Amino acid sequence: MKNIMKSFTVVGFVLLSLSTNVAASEEKKADSVNGAQVWADTCMRCHNLRAPGDLSKRAWKYSMNHMRVRAGLTGEETRNVLAFILESKTAKDAK
Amino acid sequence: MKRFVIGITLSSVIASTLLGAQNDTIEVKQLRQEVNELKQMMLKLNKSNKESTDYTEKDAVDPFYKSEISELKNTVDEMKRDLESNSKSGFQLAGYASFDWTDAQGADNEFSGVKFAPIFHYQYGQIFQFEGELEFTVQEDGSTETELEYAAGTLFINDYMGLQMGKFLSPLGQYVQNLHPSWINKLPSNPLGFGHDGAAPTSNVGIALRGGLPKVADIRSNYTVFVSNAPTYGIADDGDVVIDASGKTTASDVSKTWGGRFAVNPVSGMEIGISGAIGEAAEEITVGADTLNIARDYDAYGFDAMYNINGFDFKGEYIEQNIGENSDSALEGGKWRTWYAQASYQFTSLKIEPVLRYSDYHNPEQEKNQWAVGINYLFANNVIAKLAYEYNTDEDEDAVSSSANDNRVLAQFAFGF
Repeated sequence: MKNIMKSFTVVGFVLLSLSTNVAASEEKKADSVNGAQVWADTCMRCHNLRAPGDLSKRAWKYSMNHMRVRAGLTGEETRNVLAFILESKTAKDAK
Repeated sequence: MKRFVIGITLSSVIASTLLGAQNDTIEVKQLRQEVNELKQMMLKLNKSNKESTDYTEKDAVDPFYKSEISELKNTVDEMKRDLESNSKSGFQLAGYASFDWTDAQGADNEFSGVKFAPIFHYQYGQIFQFEGELEFTVQEDGSTETELEYAAGTLFINDYMGLQMGKFLSPLGQYVQNLHPSWINKLPSNPLGFGHDGAAPTSNVGIALRGGLPKVADIRSNYTVFVSNAPTYGIADDGDVVIDASGKTTASDVSKTWGGRFAVNPVSGMEIGISGAIGEAAEEITVGADTLNIARDYDAYGFDAMYNINGFDFKGEYIEQNIGENSDSALEGGKWRTWYAQASYQFTSLKIEPVLRYSDYHNPEQEKNQWAVGINYLFANNVIAKLAYEYNTDEDEDAVSSSANDNRVLAQFAFGF
């Protein structure tokens, strides 16, 4: 009975969260200013900062999703940090 | 006769002078011709240069050319963006590697470790990610040990929740799940009790819900809750009694482990987390000719904190696992606990980073502590050379000759990619 209750709790939790709109959150415009703040607050807690030029734009997209799980970031924070890194990278590459 | 000689001499001089004058006249003519030719060439070159300059200036100021070039640049940029954004799925290889040298008391110095840990990332849009880490290490006999450190897919349900499935690093504490990669760890060795079969659980096979939470009073926070197969308890190959809290694909006839971690970020660069797990551990015993699993009560608790400010970095963590008694077993239960505190400072201009760490480990059979002091040189933020000295103490008075007392010098070259 205890295990059944636990299983129902987990399934209920998942179904409840599934009711939110994933696609809508994807379309929100990223805020690179907030991204810079999250980047400064979060990354160096665990490891040395990686410069935007260390990885390609494509690699940064995957790395940021990896860091979303590792660092406990929200989806919005992840998109914001990515926007900040890509903007920094573009500005530096253009020089 | 004398007049004859003088006459011949004078005639020769006059003749040679006349001939020389004639040669000079020829050379002057040639020179004049060459100068004229050069003048012609100069004129041609000047004309050509002027035409070329006129053409460039004309192009540069012509609005038609300007707009055409600008349009072409935009088209190329758009094509680049499309190329990157149109592919919903993609793959990335990351990871780290390290090479170790050790000189321990009572032993010859040796090249003591080679590790290569590739991490595979696969992503489908913004809704799914798979990540897996393989760890290859060279053993003493030259063979290669391969371990699947983790392999888990995460379905991002919304901005605040991801459902993770598979084998994932233990969410208890911070060191195991975030700080163990050799390019991140600031010393060449793990703190006592944070390796395999130590006091800190290493991984779980199961499912987890995890993510960041909306800010409350401008404070960020994150969480993980999980359910997984149980750890096992027993005697390892080397004779030590251990809790094997690495992920397994069997229920072992005991209750699953339920646990989680909650962390807050009260100020920039700081995280404070608490974690815990409860369930049962499986112990294999032999009754007559039969082998069966019995359940032992199991729980684990953790507390971790880290703070990075102005080049200073402070980390600390406490983890304990407890095993209850079972009268059917010959093994007693007990507490496995460990903690460490670490401080470092990064001189960014010198690329040098001194580190100091204390760790303390206890289990029913062992009690030891360690001071480690080290210095790192950062060739780059992800390419690091480390040199450290470990001062080890076995606190068990009956084990004075234990190798746990041996101090060590360690060096490591590590990089992340």
